[in-house]
Amino acid sequence: MATRLDPNLKKEVKEYGIKDSDKCMQCGLCSAVCPLATTEESFPRKMIRLTQMGLRDKLIASPEPWLCYYCGECSDFCPRGAEPGETMMGLRRYLTAQYDWTGFSKRFYTSEKFEIFSIVGFALLIGLGFLLFAGDSPDMEKARLSTFVDAHVIEYLDLAMAAILSALLLSNVYRMAKFQMGDLIGKVPLSMYLGEVKELIVHFITQKRFSKCHDQRQWFIHLLIMTSYCSVFFMVVVLLSGLGGLLPAFQTDEVRSIIHPYNLIGYYATFGLLYGTTYAMIGRLRKNRPAYKHTHSTDWCFLILLWLTAFTGILINAFRSIGVDGLPLATYVIYVLHLMVAVPMLVFEVPFAKWSHLAFRPVTIVLTNVKKKYHENLKFNPSFAKQVENKSVGTGN
Amino acid sequence: MDKKVGFYICTGCGIAEALDIEALAKAGQEDSPACCKNHEFLCGEEGVQLIKQDIESGEINAVIIAGCSSRVNYDVFNFGKDVLVERVNLREQVIWTQPAGEEDTQMMAEDYIRMGMAKVTRMESPEPYAPEGEELVKTILVVGGGLSGMTAALESANAGYKTILVEKADSLGGWAANLYKMAPIKGSFNELQDNFIPELVKQVEENTNITVYTGSQVKNTANGPGLFDVTIHQGGSEINERVGSIVLATGAKPYEPDNLGYLGYGKSDKVITQAMFEELAANGQLKGVEKIGFIQCAGSRDEEHLAYCSAACCVESLKQSMVFKEINPEGVAYVFYKDIRSTGQYEHFYKSAQENGVIFVKYDQIDDVAESDGKLAVTLDDVLMGEKTEADEFDLIVLANGMVPTTALGEVVEEPKEDEDGNAEEEQPTQPPVIEADLLNLEYRQGPELPILKYGFPDSHYICFPYETRRTGIYAAGSVRAPMDLVTTIEDATGAALKAIQCAEATSEGKAVHPRSGDMSYPEFYMNRCTQCKRCTEECPFGAINEDEKANPLPNPTRCRRCGTCMGACPERIISFKDYNIPMVGNMLKSIEMPEEDEEKPRILIFACENDAIPALDMVGINRLNYNAWVRIIPLRCLGSLNLIWVNDAMSGGFDGVFLLGCKHGDDYQCHFMKGSELAEYRLSKVSETLDRLGLESERVRMTQVTIMDYDKIPKMLDDFAEELDDLGPNPMKDFA
Repeated sequence: MATRLDPNLKKEVKEYGIKDSDKCMQCGLCSAVCPLATTEESFPRKMIRLTQMGLRDKLIASPEPWLCYYCGECSDFCPRGAEPGETMMGLRRYLTAQYDWTGFSKRFYTSEKFEIFSIVGFALLIGLGFLLFAGDSPDMEKARLSTFVDAHVIEYLDLAMAAILSALLLSNVYRMAKFQMGDLIGKVPLSMYLGEVKELIVHFITQKRFSKCHDQRQWFIHLLIMTSYCSVFFMVVVLLSGLGGLLPAFQTDEVRSIIHPYNLIGYYATFGLLYGTTYAMIGRLRKNRPAYKHTHSTDWCFLILLWLTAFTGILINAFRSIGVDGLPLATYVIYVLHLMVAVPMLVFEVPFAKWSHLAFRPVTIVLTNVKKKYHENLKFNPSFAKQVENKSVGTGN
Repeated sequence: MDKKVGFYICTGCGIAEALDIEALAKAGQEDSPACCKNHEFLCGEEGVQLIKQDIESGEINAVIIAGCSSRVNYDVFNFGKDVLVERVNLREQVIWTQPAGEEDTQMMAEDYIRMGMAKVTRMESPEPYAPEGEELVKTILVVGGGLSGMTAALESANAGYKTILVEKADSLGGWAANLYKMAPIKGSFNELQDNFIPELVKQVEENTNITVYTGSQVKNTANGPGLFDVTIHQGGSEINERVGSIVLATGAKPYEPDNLGYLGYGKSDKVITQAMFEELAANGQLKGVEKIGFIQCAGSRDEEHLAYCSAACCVESLKQSMVFKEINPEGVAYVFYKDIRSTGQYEHFYKSAQENGVIFVKYDQIDDVAESDGKLAVTLDDVLMGEKTEADEFDLIVLANGMVPTTALGEVVEEPKEDEDGNAEEEQPTQPPVIEADLLNLEYRQGPELPILKYGFPDSHYICFPYETRRTGIYAAGSVRAPMDLVTTIEDATGAALKAIQCAEATSEGKAVHPRSGDMSYPEFYMNRCTQCKRCTEECPFGAINEDEKANPLPNPTRCRRCGTCMGACPERIISFKDYNIPMVGNMLKSIEMPEEDEEKPRILIFACENDAIPALDMVGINRLNYNAWVRIIPLRCLGSLNLIWVNDAMSGGFDGVFLLGCKHGDDYQCHFMKGSELAEYRLSKVSETLDRLGLESERVRMTQVTIMDYDKIPKMLDDFAEELDDLGPNPMKDFA
């Protein structure tokens, strides 16, 4: 059956920020210079082709956008100025919206109004929550957060939010896997998936694939932001009240020694997040790298929220530690502001937008490995082939 | 006027260090020249002054300069047209290829000196050709009033030449006049432009130097450059004009779409040609068309239809897709292509179409164009995705149906291919075919139109000589010469107009045109001894020689390019040039001293083409590569001018071998005179039979094709040949010489 060409796809992906792919003449220089592209996973050229030609089904089933880290060499070398790297970026947005069954992602990406309203609205909601439910008599003499909010309540809310967001993200990950694997998703034996768990974790933590790009600085900065965020996330969400006393609680009213491990991690995270996000923001303002030349509104949104989260987090610590008693009112206010920034960021970015790549990337790498191994086995391992055949006959019956 | 030869040996550039100059001078004096001098820096001011003084004092009127190659300093050693200048190449051909101070090197140099003397004694200063009682005119005739024809006419008229423009249709404009909009021809090359043909027509009509005949055709073209007698039919009347040179700009016709049934033409009226698209666009009938497809290479680059690329269709389809998007901004346009060949600045236009949203699909093969429910679907192999692909719901499919040159439209003139005995001569090089296309109706022995090089195009040489055709003074321009787009056409027409002007000017002074530009010699026929064998009339690559009923040759010197092919062909040796003739070369080879057999110094005679082989031999010297000392080189204007008598003379004169260095022939020939080296090879096949009969090994005479870049291989070629001759032993005729 011949594949049908759909002329509307081009218009559709334009809404996700793909502007220049029309200029591509399919010379293939982009794929040639890309250190990550291979014969099997050939990009960006092939992805641009799918977009130009309107091969929607193939595009949605493509793992390639998640295998690219946008070092931008393709865009540097493109003789037509077709910005292949930006096309890959836009396709990641497009795919995120396709994976998302709630339809929220699509609206978030394609409408700036929706994006701003939802974030601001949610932030106000959080603020309102504090107005209504915050402690009745916070200590205005000495900054003590426990008199303003109950750490346990926040912890429960944190965990509940983490559960909901994870469920949403995982459901999208599952949809992605179904698109990418097609019929294979059920055919591949579970053991093959399990065999890749280690890889999944390694990729999740190190993004080692990113390090194969020629310019390793980007990888380093990404790693800095990522580890900084993760450590803070761990302290704030998991250790907020110390896992029921197992470890010291993160949120306490005491001012910790400056060499307390939590503080040391905090310094690192503070530096990492502020440096990383500031670097990216300045880069985007100066447009000094191909990856920074085209900035989608959601990119700004994410960077600003992340920067603000980090910044307000530091202020909380600063305000409550100044002098002997700290600045109580300022501490409580900035605490509210901190959550007004951090919560919407997590709620929108993790399952529906940019941050979802934390799951899509490693899972895609693992799935392509699985697919490759499955086909190799089918080809070179007769007993495996037989097993698979029996199974498919069995299910067929 | 008696020839008084001055002999000058330059001792610079290391010549004096490598050779015994006194002995050289002695060799030079054997034929007792008027003077014999040497100078250490002959091309310097003082050296040139020395020669000039001798000329002015009347002491000499011919100069032999033994020094560097004739390919350098030719401007320095130019003493006006009345002073013959001959150059003996001691530098590139002797001291740079042979060890210094050796006996064999000295012998070689002395032989070249003798050859130079021998040559000059048989040379005369050529008198420019001027027909008696006739005036050589410089009017330019342009045939065809389309874009290329009008451009050529305007260019020549604006350069100050009277120009006649003949157009078959009732109005000027040609094919391009029917275009709704045009692809850009200037600026940033990314926007459509309005048709500029009406403006061009106006310019032509207002130009007082241009006489326009519309509704007219050239019915007869007689004589040659400077003297072309052209009969033009206009309606019922006949107009006679005399012109100097001609630009053929009759353009091309679209490829017959009825042959394109496999792309749906004729099966659905929604499958149309590019020309029909222009009509629809002009009549406003494209409004409301939602989806359109363009199929490129409809017939072109297809062995079963047009084997060549039609060059203009890609840009035309880009333009049409942009026109479509302009009319229907929301419409969808697909272009199905093999390769988008939007050359030069049109690359920007291609990009522009992409940016306008036109979708490009690269196909290898169109499987089907089918109609159902009033919509068309195209099934094809998508090369870039590597699979079968379908695009459907088209309202219109436009076929880019390529072009066929007007020179290809007609019957091929059949040449009788039988010799006097009725035997078909198959191996003989044949003249290219001529198609009766009713464009120029030439009164040429070799057919009424320009000979065809490939695919019906009259191009002369695809790289070296654009615009040239194989008929001197007639230059093809535009899509009749080769398929081309608008910009190339304008450039082409300008170039052809320039060539036509050059030809008219050169001819009026009795000079040759390219490639022997400025040569004033021309072949003269000693008719008393002609046997009417027709070889010269048949073999002339430029159709310069007509025939009367009795097969007597009727030369047209203004058509001649002075290659000497006729001279090489003539078995009676009655054709000669003032400064290039049979006795001259015969004299040269006889002047070479033939060592006795027991001296074990074989001699190899090389006839080398002046255009490629001689420069290559010079490059051997420039690169200081050595070859064996037995060779003696005689340059020829073209190997086509090689007369077999020279080979006979050489063999009977004791030469151990004869080596011909000529240009590549065949499809990618490099011969400046089309067939020269091929003819030489053919003639050589005849001589080997004779040699065999004489008991001489035919291996002693051979020919090799060299290009200018083969210079590094030449020493080995010569050494290998010498080795083989060594195996054969000395020429048994040596003792009789």
